[in-house]
Amino acid sequence: MASPRTEQPRIGGAVPRVSWKPALVVLVILGLTGWSAAGVGFDLVELLSSTGPIERFISGMFPPDLSARTLQTTARGVLETFQMSFLGALMGAVVAFPLAAFATGEDATVGASRGERLLRVVPYHLSRFILNVFRSVPDILWALVFVVALGLGPFPGTLALAVHSAGILGKLLSETLESVPSRPVEALRATGAGALQAFLFGRLPQAISGFTSLTLYQWECNIRSATILGFVGAGGIGQQILISMNLFDYPKVATLVGATIVAVLVVDRFSAAVRRRLVY
Amino acid sequence: MTSSPRSKEPSARGFALEKAVVSFRGTAALDGATLEVEPGERLAVVGASGAGKTTLFRVLTRGVALSGGRVTVGGRDLYSLSKGELKGVRRRIGSIYQAYNLVPQLPAGVNAALGEVGGMGALATLRTFLAGPDAALASRVAGALDRVGLGDKARARTADLSGGQQQRVAVARLLVQSPDLVLADEPFAAVDPVTTERVFEALLELNHEGATLMVNLHDVGLARRFPRVVALREGQVAFDGPPERLSEEALNEIYAGDDPHQEVVLPEPQGDGGPKEPIQLAEGRDGVSSH
Ligand SMILES: Nc1ncnc2c1ncn2[C@@H]1O[C@H](COP(=O)(O)OP(=O)(O)OP(=O)(O)O)[C@@H](O)[C@H]1O
Ligand SMILES: [Mg+2]
Repeated sequence: MASPRTEQPRIGGAVPRVSWKPALVVLVILGLTGWSAAGVGFDLVELLSSTGPIERFISGMFPPDLSARTLQTTARGVLETFQMSFLGALMGAVVAFPLAAFATGEDATVGASRGERLLRVVPYHLSRFILNVFRSVPDILWALVFVVALGLGPFPGTLALAVHSAGILGKLLSETLESVPSRPVEALRATGAGALQAFLFGRLPQAISGFTSLTLYQWECNIRSATILGFVGAGGIGQQILISMNLFDYPKVATLVGATIVAVLVVDRFSAAVRRRLVY
Repeated sequence: MTSSPRSKEPSARGFALEKAVVSFRGTAALDGATLEVEPGERLAVVGASGAGKTTLFRVLTRGVALSGGRVTVGGRDLYSLSKGELKGVRRRIGSIYQAYNLVPQLPAGVNAALGEVGGMGALATLRTFLAGPDAALASRVAGALDRVGLGDKARARTADLSGGQQQRVAVARLLVQSPDLVLADEPFAAVDPVTTERVFEALLELNHEGATLMVNLHDVGLARRFPRVVALREGQVAFDGPPERLSEEALNEIYAGDDPHQEVVLPEPQGDGGPKEPIQLAEGRDGVSSH
């Protein structure tokens, strides 16, 4: 059999030939770099020559303040931060779940009437919109909002974490639900299962361990966030850190920061260990 | 409660395609296929890869959009049914595929019970979701799993079962559903010979109990055990009759272009920008294929 006449593709080396496109990309990146550095007043000389204040700050932290009162304050702060992050993630997950369920697009619209489509499209876009608002406002801004509305303390901070977590988890969960293998769902649909049934028995079981894992990860993120929410008066250990900073009580700052790092690491490790054991 | 769903829902046993056309982005997967199947019949569908066999099965549950012709199930035009009526018809049709039938994270028993979920209301669905199947359904599930030889696996995670065991769970789900029409799309492609025989027996039994049975087979030898064989070629019915009339020449015609000795078909450079055949690995008459 005569082989068809084919253009032999030219095979070059590993390095692609220089063309104007990559050069343009490099130029754009360089330009952005210069522009941003100028904008923020980036100054390496200043960084290297101002070692004095930094040294003073760091040496001032040692030895850390390990007095009983400081330890007590630290423990209270760490526990409060922990409680805020946990509740925030849990409440976020509870709110995220129904929103994500509505925000999950289903493609089986074969033969659906216009009214039926509308009935599905409205909650879909509405819940997407809500999730986007929840997510795109950073948690520290939510904290400011809730502090203004409810006053100082860990409660507004917890709400801030919950709202932001709901936004992130809702988005990720709806993506998980959508990316689940669709064949079992279609198999269910083909036997007459409705939307609710296909969701509960087809999509959800396939997505649930992913959702659990995401929630645990969100908890990790929350404990990091919770440490700085105190800077705007929304509770947690950040509030103690800010007060001690303002009083130049650097040894106490050292204790508080050290305890924060330990708490974050512990939660990270715990959550990572649980996530590893989740069966997919 | 105990009345069989068969009594209150319309029958879906016989079906017919009249010049059915199904297109995917301009390419016709079914291109004017005409086929009539009487209630209680048993037939095998064969054809080369890409001939439209899977599409034929999907069109019968309204799983794809129809761009021409008519599809009737139980004497009723499938594509003009209301949503509720469609659900009722789908309730009466049981499907089993080569793979991906089941939800891998659920226990085998729950997967088998899903044969019944289409007939449940919202409350019963929620109760089943939270608390598991009720006593009546659970005993039917146990009976179905027993019949496929998996009586002890009801609580096992489906993903932990072997491919053949999973296929038997899919059959158990069919038994729980007890449909009027059984559509099996390459049910044996990923299964060992013993399981094949077993699944085959279970499907035949459903047929003996009155269900219409249509099976898509890559194995022509197995297809010859059916009283009626339908061959598809390029989206049309190329042969329809008893297996004795299916000669070697007719088979070669049907499978032309599906040469099992071909390794990989490289797309030849074409002048026009028309649709090109996707690169396909060789799939013989008894090969394993996706879809
Ligand atoms: N969802 C889809 N989108 C686009 N094209 C599709 C889709 N489903 C099927 N096709 C195309 O329609 C044609 C028929 O496909 P079908 O799956 O019915 O073939 P088949 O006979 O079942 O083949 P096989 O034996 O390989 O399973 C093929 O050319 C396929 O590429
Ligand atoms: Mg197929």
